[in-house]
Amino acid sequence: MSRGVLAVAESVDGHLAASGREAAAAARSLSEGGTVTGLVLGTALAGPAGELSRAGVDRVLTMEAPALEGRRALPWAAGIAAAAAATSASVVVLPGTAFGRELAGAVGSLWDAPATAGVTEIVGSDAEGIEVARPAFGGRATQRLKLTGPRIVLALRANSVPPAPPAAVPAPIEPIPAPELAAGILAGEPVGFAAAASTGGPELTQAAIVVSGGRGLKAPENFALLEELARSLGAAVGASRAVTDAGWKPSSYQVGQTGKSVAPQLYVAVGISGAIQHLVGMMSSRVIVAINSDPNAPIFRVADFGIVGDLFQIVPALTAEIRRVRGLAEPGRSPGA
Amino acid sequence: MEILVLVKPVPESESRLRPSPDGRQLDTEGVKFVLAGYDESAVEQALLLKESVPGSKVRAVALGPAARAEEVLRATLALGCDAATLLEAPPGRELDGAETARALALAAAKGPADLILLGKQSGDQETGILPTALAARIGRPGFSNVLDLRWDPGSNRFRFARATEAGEERWEVPAPLVVGLQQAWNDPRTAKLQNILRSRKLPIDRIPAAEVAAALGPAPRESATKFLLPPPRTGAKMIEYGRPEEAAEQLVRILRDTARVLP
Ligand SMILES: Cc1cc2nc3c(=O)[nH]c(=O)nc-3n(C[C@H](O)[C@H](O)[C@H](O)COP(=O)(O)OP(=O)(O)OC[C@H]3O[C@@H](n4cnc5c(N)ncnc54)[C@H](O)[C@@H]3O)c2cc1C
Repeated sequence: MSRGVLAVAESVDGHLAASGREAAAAARSLSEGGTVTGLVLGTALAGPAGELSRAGVDRVLTMEAPALEGRRALPWAAGIAAAAAATSASVVVLPGTAFGRELAGAVGSLWDAPATAGVTEIVGSDAEGIEVARPAFGGRATQRLKLTGPRIVLALRANSVPPAPPAAVPAPIEPIPAPELAAGILAGEPVGFAAAASTGGPELTQAAIVVSGGRGLKAPENFALLEELARSLGAAVGASRAVTDAGWKPSSYQVGQTGKSVAPQLYVAVGISGAIQHLVGMMSSRVIVAINSDPNAPIFRVADFGIVGDLFQIVPALTAEIRRVRGLAEPGRSPGA
Repeated sequence: MEILVLVKPVPESESRLRPSPDGRQLDTEGVKFVLAGYDESAVEQALLLKESVPGSKVRAVALGPAARAEEVLRATLALGCDAATLLEAPPGRELDGAETARALALAAAKGPADLILLGKQSGDQETGILPTALAARIGRPGFSNVLDLRWDPGSNRFRFARATEAGEERWEVPAPLVVGLQQAWNDPRTAKLQNILRSRKLPIDRIPAAEVAAALGPAPRESATKFLLPPPRTGAKMIEYGRPEEAAEQLVRILRDTARVLP
């Protein structure tokens, strides 16, 4: 059954966020031949709209308004509902970001539609509705749900849907006016921003590969080993709470029950014992690798692949091997030197 | 300041998870439902604000089967909340997020609140859409993933940080406001025994199931279809090796050719 689907994308530093490409790809699979419309909102949208036009959508709408500049859920939701109505979309797909979850709630209420978030899989779709799967209970279980009715709202989980290969021909881009916004929902304003302590790579919850270090690294300066490994993989760097509590890394690095939940394609746990509070934050990862000197470390029970050994020997060897197979030069040396 | 703090009864974190006999959802037979996770932090945050702004009142609100919701509300009263409202869930009716917001809006409509505080996500389903679903329902600004929430009496505004993938935004927003709290480390207090005993006798306002049902849509739009536990992990495939370089070679081969997760 074909349906019109609206995929909403966010932008970061003037570029389309990867989560927007994933939303576009999920929208395509749900459309079953219907029209897929991409939507960007805010100001200075030319860059992200251009990128979205090659991400597998049939057309791109740009909703430009100063009121949509800060990421406020209600004004954005009003804009999304208006765009959905204008395009006769019956499904809205939102990006797998923290803000995507906020949007799912607000669009669900404004559009009077069932909504869910953190979707890792689209299980099925028929004339009645859409069945999805999402992790619950800290990744200890998966709940499948069926959402039904003429309008459905889904927010994805990052890294769950592979983005489409870039289209050769860009889809047409058109502006759409923002709806009238009630002053009440625009009260207050953003007064500052503190960028997250950069790991030099992708953001932790959005990364396709995460390399995390634990107390086994012994000292903060030894994180350089992990950072080298992460660079060779284009991965984000995470940490256990033992590390953030000790102040070796800021709390924004922490993975687990009281830190961030991650579900990358590949999670590499280095010198991490595998306490349950750590496991609930990373157990939904597709492939888990553990490197630990203790063959009885609990992390090996949830890992797919394990290396028992001294991380100070294994990690540099692994970094060198990855660089070799990926054809990357060692830092500080020119290629071929 | 009038504060509403919304709490959801959720299974104790140590509960064993298993599917219900029909396989659709968690088997709740014998499971204890408690105040937990971000909701517990939200109650603590509400009480901290109450203590810093003289004359404030905190009302806790819970939606659920009456017995479970009552347990959780008594816990909030024992901690220091001033009043409680119990929304009785219509038995057997599955609610989607927009409908849960409609139901909770009934409690919000009973009196003006300057702040409606929730955990950013529930401790069981963790969907994280309710703070903004409720904000949209009642037409007030709503923010989730909020850290470090403070009231500034000088400007009559709330000041807070909001976590995004890129970093922390800082906001200043006047009341009334809906906030989904991300703080999970504000060290929630524990109730004193005498307050626990006293809380058993305090009144709880009730909104009966029929009134809740009347606020919902005509038919359910969301239903659980399957509750799945991950296949028991059989343990890692251990890489046998002599030198570290051999371990690295084997692992990279597996990740590239078998698991296909290397870029
Ligand atoms: C309420 C609560 C919430 C919590 N929340 C979190 C959370 O969000 N995230 C989190 O991570 N933890 C959390 N914890 C803490 C958790 O219980 C563990 O204490 C913590 O995860 C342990 O960190 P670790 O694995 O780095 O350290 P350890 O448990 O000390 O493990 C270090 C590991 O390194 C290995 N090792 C040592 N030397 C080497 C070497 N040379 N080569 C290889 N391996 C080596 C050791 O064998 C060991 O397995 C929480 C705890 C509580 C009570």
